[in-house]
Amino acid sequence: MTKAPPTSEPLKNSAIAQVGLLLGLAILLVIPLLAGGHDYVLQVFTHGLLLATLALAWNILAISGSISLGHAAFFGVGAYTSGLLSLELGVSSWATIPTAGLAAMAVAVLVWLFCHRLRGAYFALATLAFVEIPRVLTDNWDGLTRGSLGLVGLPGLPALRLGSHHFDISASSIGSYYFVLVYGLLLLAVVTFIFRSNLGLALQAIREEETAAESLGIQVQRYRLLALLLSALFSGITGACYAHLIRYIEPGMVYGLHFSAIPVIFAICGGRFTIIGPALAALVLYPMDQFLLHPLLPAGHEFLYGAVIILAILFLPSGFWGQLWKGQRVSIKTGSIE
Amino acid sequence: MALGFALIFGVTHTFNLAHGELLVLAGYVAYWLWKAYGVSLFFTFPAAILATLALCLVLQRLFSRLREPMEMNSIVLSFGLAILLQNGMLFFFSGDYRLIHVPLLNQRFRLLGISLSYGQFTLLTLSLLVLGLTYVLMRHTYLGKALRATIQDRESAALAGINVSGMGILAFAIGAVLIGLAGPLFGCIHYLYPTAGLQATLIAITITIFAGVGRIGSLILGGWILGFAESCAVVFLGASWRELVSALMLLTLMALRPYGILGTEEK
Amino acid sequence: MFCKRRWFVSCFLLFFLWCTTTPVVAESVKIGEINPLTGRLAKQGLEIHQGVAVAVAEVNDRGGLNGRQVELISRDDQSQPDVAISRAEELCGWRKVCGLTGGYVDSLVGPISEVAKKYEVVYVASASLQKELSQRENPYFFRVAKLQGFIQPICDLLSEKLRPQRLAILYAATPGSSEFAHDLENCLHSRGTPLHLIEKFRPGTPDFTPLIAKLASMQIDVIVSGGFSADHLLFVRQLKENRVSPMAYLGPFGIAYESFIREMGENGEYLYSTCAWNPGITQPGTEKLSEDFVERFRRMFQRQPNTTNMHGYTSTRVLLAAMRNVVRRNKPLTGPNIRQALAELDLLLPMERVAFDKHGDPLHYQHPEPLLPLSIPCPNGVNESSAHVDHCSRIRHHLGLILYPCGTGICPDIWGYPHL
Repeated sequence: MTKAPPTSEPLKNSAIAQVGLLLGLAILLVIPLLAGGHDYVLQVFTHGLLLATLALAWNILAISGSISLGHAAFFGVGAYTSGLLSLELGVSSWATIPTAGLAAMAVAVLVWLFCHRLRGAYFALATLAFVEIPRVLTDNWDGLTRGSLGLVGLPGLPALRLGSHHFDISASSIGSYYFVLVYGLLLLAVVTFIFRSNLGLALQAIREEETAAESLGIQVQRYRLLALLLSALFSGITGACYAHLIRYIEPGMVYGLHFSAIPVIFAICGGRFTIIGPALAALVLYPMDQFLLHPLLPAGHEFLYGAVIILAILFLPSGFWGQLWKGQRVSIKTGSIE
Repeated sequence: MALGFALIFGVTHTFNLAHGELLVLAGYVAYWLWKAYGVSLFFTFPAAILATLALCLVLQRLFSRLREPMEMNSIVLSFGLAILLQNGMLFFFSGDYRLIHVPLLNQRFRLLGISLSYGQFTLLTLSLLVLGLTYVLMRHTYLGKALRATIQDRESAALAGINVSGMGILAFAIGAVLIGLAGPLFGCIHYLYPTAGLQATLIAITITIFAGVGRIGSLILGGWILGFAESCAVVFLGASWRELVSALMLLTLMALRPYGILGTEEK
Repeated sequence: MFCKRRWFVSCFLLFFLWCTTTPVVAESVKIGEINPLTGRLAKQGLEIHQGVAVAVAEVNDRGGLNGRQVELISRDDQSQPDVAISRAEELCGWRKVCGLTGGYVDSLVGPISEVAKKYEVVYVASASLQKELSQRENPYFFRVAKLQGFIQPICDLLSEKLRPQRLAILYAATPGSSEFAHDLENCLHSRGTPLHLIEKFRPGTPDFTPLIAKLASMQIDVIVSGGFSADHLLFVRQLKENRVSPMAYLGPFGIAYESFIREMGENGEYLYSTCAWNPGITQPGTEKLSEDFVERFRRMFQRQPNTTNMHGYTSTRVLLAAMRNVVRRNKPLTGPNIRQALAELDLLLPMERVAFDKHGDPLHYQHPEPLLPLSIPCPNGVNESSAHVDHCSRIRHHLGLILYPCGTGICPDIWGYPHL
């Protein structure tokens, strides 16, 4: 097969990729139909989508080159804020979920105070340690958070009122699925906007070479802070959604290493330099683990994640999706030069 | 244990999050030999050292294949490795808690007015001995000087004719020996279970960051200060605040010394 | 290079193919179990699973339910609630099981029970403790264990027999343990027993020395610890290392296990524990049942069963007994029918006499008095005050000495401890 001239190849690749993505989106939209009434499938994809949003939110920070190993702090604060407000005060989830995001942003400010001078691995370690702060506070402040008992029986996702119709999202799996899907798509739009805006370009410049970026006049710290805040905001919202989906949370669970590790794994495997890579990894790996691996290798899940991340970092450091865009002069998706 | 971590990090700039897991694995090897074959504790040390040596060399091969930025990629890689090792150990040794019984170690005696157990005494003396040896190695041998030079500035060291990648292998090897020594002891004093590695790794990292890579004295000091602060936290505030205090210590430390260990930033 | 889209699609196709080719066995009755088989709760989840497997094997060997074999579908929730929900959806919605059992810790049992309620499938949980769960208005949720069963005997022992001068309660930062500590505190308060210290620690703490120092400085004489096996192992050993000998140490969770006792060796001279069941300690009238269980368990898994296994076994036996009642009355095996049968059930099993109240809580779950082994705390040194020694002999006299049954192959000597 003759090699196509270099100029048309990237365009062809990107066209196929675009079609592939659209097809994927179409499938996602109609999964409830494909599932044929099996809520099981819907549940798995709902959770997969939720994890995808967490990975996307994490990636916002990763654009600036800061790898956080403690995103569970934001996730947990979001989950608890929304849970407490709706449980204790009876506030509707429509209000508590965004509030949760704001609470997570407040926590991010605290992180910034400790970590703004740190880079690279030190930053990662600091975030890893930082999770303890909200965790221990939640654990011990019994009067406010019920401490280690956790929150039992949280109300579900918010109800939708369209004119005279009252649609209780939480009662139906389909409703929950579409709620999370819509949130996911919104977040994807936000992330795309960030990537292509000046903010995104600045962040990528910071990631590549910080001193050069600074010399260009980019206010490095300001942009890093912004990335951190946005990342925390959406992680908090995701945490709140999680709390309302599962309806039982406890400190050990939402602040645990699991939710810190998951976005890292998905983003690295999917491609943390790309917009949609982390989400794709989440939507492929998680359902694969639940549907295929579970009956075949009941004890093999964690093994899978460990092995996948090792393989990814050794052989595909830009992730699966990122690899597809390698060697392109100008990547349409990321807008940056690979 | 922290020394091994510090050494590996200093020379090769790789963070090994699986450090703790390797320690636990060394402990498990010793336990297995002790349990299944009745090997006395003393002889399990060489076996544990050999095992960790082999593993660390494999690790070093893997790490060397990583590209920049070395530190972050190594964190991710070792993180994945830690998961693998944890699950492997869970599979082979089950989740039960295991301890290497050495009755002698539990007996106590008085030394300078403080009551110690033989176990604690052995740990203390062995650590000091190893640290002392390493100190001598670093200060007074050619190899040691080469290692220190590599820690301080890799590029200059290369220019000076030091085989930097060879130094990397050596650092891993020494680190492995240190882990191999610590492992069986760990198995005697602390219980062995698959998830014990995480605790150990965090402690190693905290002490390393506190102390600085090349200075052995400050490593010891760092370890003691950390332990002291944690104990004070438990006594005065309550056991539930222990983790918060250690986290705050680490964070404050890092906030005050943002360029961490390598002195001035490589600008 | 371009396998992304194709991969996605082929994954899907594979999945649907696999769905449609799953065979349907006509005559068997399907029940499901969801346990944490991987993740941080793997150890206990596996033990519950083993208990369940034994119960199913037992029923099938005796001819099943009116001739129909019982098919057990096991699933792993990875110690994560979202996976637990997916598994429950799979079992209830897709595989259409007639009943669910298994489960460990409330954060997993809770979500599963919600799904079970949705599908009107009964769920008999093996290990769930917190009060709130059974208050949730779920007619399809039952459980064979509850927190009061731990609290009552310990409270009685403390206030009536041990009568500590300075008592400390330590508990782990988990929901079950926290609730245990608070309920015990309330119970003791109502009995007028003074409490000097109540403190929380993170389970898996590597070093208890500072806490022990604190206890020693406060001259605590009785310690109640709501930690788990690992914490007990370390704590008691460090107590000994630091030459701190309380009068008694009570641990409701995680002591009464063979593996624990083996690891403790000679360190456990003054340990008490409660347990719902152990080989040799069973409800009066169920000795044969208990022996059969132990024997079958040893045959299937080559080790001695423990109380966690028994919880799994009990919940499954209960579920199957209810189903058998439904089948005997020639009614179809639907959710409401089985639920009805469970509500009316009164069955004597080795662990407890099983009957449920209107919330699904067990009526008769109680850890037996007096508590399980391990021996009576008494100082051997001659320097101890005679009052203390007197107190000890009084206890010895009241409680009697219960020895760990020799059936396990580990025979304790009277004053000391089982050695390996």
